[in-house]
Amino acid sequence: MSDKAAKSLLDTGIDSIEQVEFYRVLVNSIQDYAIFLLDTNGCIASWNLGAEKLKGYRPNEIIGQHFSVFYPEKDVENGKPEWELTECQRFGHIEDEGWRVKKDGSRFWANVIITALYDRTGEFIGYAKVTRDLTERKNYEDRLRRANRLLERQHAELGALNQAKDEFISLASHQLRTPATGVRQFLGLLLEGYAGDLTETQADYVKKAYDSNLRQISLVNDLLKVAQVDAGQVSLTRTEVDIAELVRDVVGEQASRFSDRGQKVTIKGATKPVMAKVDESKLRMAIENLIDNASKYTPEGGKVKVSLSANDESIKLVVSDTGVGIDEEHQHRLFSKFSRIPNALSEDVNGSGLGLYWVDKIIQLHDGTIEVKSKVDKGSEFTVIIPVDGVDDD
Amino acid sequence: MMTKPRVLLVEDELVIRQAFEIILTNQDYDIDIAANGEEAAKLCESYHYDLILLDLMMPVLDGVGFLEKVNPAKNLQDTRVVILSNLSSGEAINQAIELGAHRSEIKANLGPAELIKLVSDELANRAS
Repeated sequence: MSDKAAKSLLDTGIDSIEQVEFYRVLVNSIQDYAIFLLDTNGCIASWNLGAEKLKGYRPNEIIGQHFSVFYPEKDVENGKPEWELTECQRFGHIEDEGWRVKKDGSRFWANVIITALYDRTGEFIGYAKVTRDLTERKNYEDRLRRANRLLERQHAELGALNQAKDEFISLASHQLRTPATGVRQFLGLLLEGYAGDLTETQADYVKKAYDSNLRQISLVNDLLKVAQVDAGQVSLTRTEVDIAELVRDVVGEQASRFSDRGQKVTIKGATKPVMAKVDESKLRMAIENLIDNASKYTPEGGKVKVSLSANDESIKLVVSDTGVGIDEEHQHRLFSKFSRIPNALSEDVNGSGLGLYWVDKIIQLHDGTIEVKSKVDKGSEFTVIIPVDGVDDD
Repeated sequence: MMTKPRVLLVEDELVIRQAFEIILTNQDYDIDIAANGEEAAKLCESYHYDLILLDLMMPVLDGVGFLEKVNPAKNLQDTRVVILSNLSSGEAINQAIELGAHRSEIKANLGPAELIKLVSDELANRAS
């Protein structure tokens, strides 16, 4: 610290040379902050170790120079250093963040506080300047800002893609189903005798075309159901539903199919009401799918059992059959999309490989679980557990 | 003599229009046909319908536009309105229900027998 600077400090009210020495040691020992004095013209009057470390100048190289030497050329051209001193005099102090220049010409991001100094008579005697290097924080913030901008852009792109996908699903559902509807109606008209009686062979051919058309419609329906569930467009409308009644209904509706295949179906535990808060139509479709699968993959004369039980927290539905079973090595992909598992009946059974995927998703939306146990040639057992008090997501 | 129930079919797809017309005429209903919502709205100014079978995606004026125009909840209180569309869900169906349609079915899931049952159920609903 120069004599002049020491005198300035004395003038600010510090009473003794000992105190001046004390402050000199204090200021000098601080290495993370550049702390120095400027005279009334903005020329450097003192220089601490922190300033030397931060800006690279030795005291004898910098004392006496104007502090604008620390500013980038453009700031100097724009008169920023002078402006800061003027503002500082006006308001007593000024704080700024911006690029500053080191002795070697490299830049650092600085937090700068300049305070106007007055002696005890109130006369303006210069400025105290404290500078901190915040380059690391600035770089970190810049990286965060860039990452954030990238995320925002990707979010917007994903939103647009999702919207395009939704529009595609909507359009595809319409465009694929419309011609299939025409085929269904006119084949149906032929089969139901609107155009007169058909010969046995004609009726057989038309029936084959009609069934094929139904499969096509069912496949489109499955694809759309899965696309909707994947797009997050499926939400549950929960009401208090008697699951026992629902199970009896579904089995009743499929009764003719069981009898056509010579299969015996039994229901257990569904005589008394078993209440749960579920989406009735979606759970109905899921149960229909499980029971239909049990029948489809069980040879003629086999058995299908539907068992229902409940406790205070959940209901448990088990659909078991004496069918062809699922090889253990394929069981892990049973609930995956388009997974058609090879078995003794898979060539005879029409399926999209989407049914169990959709069922699993619907059970998940109900906060429930579905598990399978199966042995080849012995049969399969699907166990669904669903909480009784389902809560809507929103 | 009881008058025949009068049904308005609003459908832009010619093949589906023809099939539905054959099926419903055979059931002894009076059928009027409109190829879009605009034509349907004009027919509704002149005639009273017991049942309107309404497609959603149509040129000129779509199903939702038709419902906005005729405001069935206010102006067609004795008429059942059933959406028959191949859209499976979404904004348009929700809007149609909010605008006064009573029910929505996927057309592709209806064969002649299912269509006959739907129309007869809806006419019974209207009567009750």
